[in-house]
Amino acid sequence: MKKNDLITPEGTRDLLFNDCLARRAVESKLGKLFTDFGYSEVVTPGIEFYDLFSGSCRHFRQEIMYKLTDSKGRLIVLRPDSTVPIARLASTRLASAVLPLRLYYNQPVYENNALLKGRSDEIAQAGIELIGGEDTERADYEALCLGLGSLEQFDRDNFRFEIGDIGYFKELVARLDVDESTREEIRLLISVKNYPALNDMLDSIGSTPVTAALKMLPRLFGGVEVFEKAAELFTDEKTDPILEHLKDVYLKLCELGYGGKISVDLGIVSHADYYTGIVFKGYLSGVGQAVLKGGRYDGLLSEFGRPCPAIGFGVNCDDVANYLRRNSLAPEIKDPDCIVFAEAGRSAEAVALAKELIGQGMKIEIGVHKTFEATREYAVKRGIGLIYRIGSEVEKIEL
Amino acid sequence: MNKPLRIALTKGRLEKDTVGLLEKIGFDCSAVRDKGRKLILPVPDGNLEVVLAKANDVITYVEHGVCDLGVVGKDTIMEMQGTFFELVDLGFGKCRFALATKKGSSFYGGYKVKTVATKYPNITRTYFESKGMDVDIVKIEGSVELAPLLELADGIVDIVETGTTLKENGLEVIEDIVPVSARLIVNTVSMKLRQDEIERLVALIENTL
Repeated sequence: MKKNDLITPEGTRDLLFNDCLARRAVESKLGKLFTDFGYSEVVTPGIEFYDLFSGSCRHFRQEIMYKLTDSKGRLIVLRPDSTVPIARLASTRLASAVLPLRLYYNQPVYENNALLKGRSDEIAQAGIELIGGEDTERADYEALCLGLGSLEQFDRDNFRFEIGDIGYFKELVARLDVDESTREEIRLLISVKNYPALNDMLDSIGSTPVTAALKMLPRLFGGVEVFEKAAELFTDEKTDPILEHLKDVYLKLCELGYGGKISVDLGIVSHADYYTGIVFKGYLSGVGQAVLKGGRYDGLLSEFGRPCPAIGFGVNCDDVANYLRRNSLAPEIKDPDCIVFAEAGRSAEAVALAKELIGQGMKIEIGVHKTFEATREYAVKRGIGLIYRIGSEVEKIEL
Repeated sequence: MNKPLRIALTKGRLEKDTVGLLEKIGFDCSAVRDKGRKLILPVPDGNLEVVLAKANDVITYVEHGVCDLGVVGKDTIMEMQGTFFELVDLGFGKCRFALATKKGSSFYGGYKVKTVATKYPNITRTYFESKGMDVDIVKIEGSVELAPLLELADGIVDIVETGTTLKENGLEVIEDIVPVSARLIVNTVSMKLRQDEIERLVALIENTL
């Protein structure tokens, strides 16, 4: 016997019945929401050139990409992300389309995770990209509203959202007289909220208002008071507008009634090479990682020769589906109401009756056993309480 | 009352030191002290639930969010990596990573590629990569000191506290790599969803240290 023909590769799984239904429900709800707000679906290839994901502001480590080669020996990867292909698409085939572009996707991405970490290598993702929205404040607001709406529709009470602006960190760190690798190290320490190491590092650089603000950055999260704290720590003509814009968006979202659901976190500094402005994450309680991630990436499209602002987010549909299943919020498959069994030579009648019953709103199965007795036994095993037996006349048998 | 915060402690010395710290804060840890065979133990007045686990598992539990917090050595964090917040240097469980060789041997001499035995292959690799040096790394599960004595390796990278074990076996530290101590780590989502409770606990801990 072959060794690997009965199992799926590490990090992948077969999705059955209710699990499958839950995942599709998540996808279709998101699709509906995105469509209602004027977004059109696009599908990009499952495999792409490695080069696409190795540009300067694309944050994919080569270790996490599944790689293969095409017939000419060129390096191909399984799509690790959908935003970059969509940025390519927007700059090539949609180069002459009227802006803004409102695009959405619903397709898996692939990640080569370390073994035995319990993480999926194939992740179902659905999300939007709003490309070329000239008034970035309005675009930010729209993307955030859609992000909030995405999670809200799954569980109104148990989701949380956090917003930040990576521009604040970038402005602060740019004022330090240090080399690029030190800046990157500071960013990493902030992103993992490693207070002790961050303090040591900044102390060694010196004591200025900038280092003091950077030291506090991982602690700058919470409600509206964060803006006051940040303004106390550091203020100038470049950082003030960033905070003002973020505060404005935050207050607007509070007006929509999301006040208790949103917090501000100026310490979101992940993917600093890629994001340029507002960044946000969404959480469902009990799920160990963010289920929604997004932000503004105004630099990406210029890498494809079409400079324009853009913002988007992606939702991890698998995580949401698992959450719904765990909390009994997912739809469940309904058992058939009855079996239609036809005696030999009457299968055409069975199909006709089946159609009629379906028309009445029933879910049916057509019997494929040899005898009525076998059909009956099967019905009992499946817990189906009704059989239509088609002989010279139709007999309705309740079990 | 909210669901308790769940904290995973590394079994052994870090567990004892952490319990000591929690008691100093004023929490009643009697259930943790008389645990018997139980693995999940309540600290009712702190609204905490203590889970006892091996060091690597502490990180796994916290990363997946089944425990909100964890106490684990920096050595394990460096070796395992992972996604979580590292909030507090607890100051106990202090030791260091060091490179040790047989007394009198010259590790950096000659052109032969050196072999290094260790329980921490990732830390060892990163360390020698940062020096731009190619070494063969052999992972050993038990007493790493044996490897140079049996001439499997030219040196070892290991945790050193006092250095007594090394000395008794004719080995000596030739380089300190990095200091190590216990850290309080937090799941990234818990940090957001239970911010107030976690910040309160962290403040209590920081004030008691």
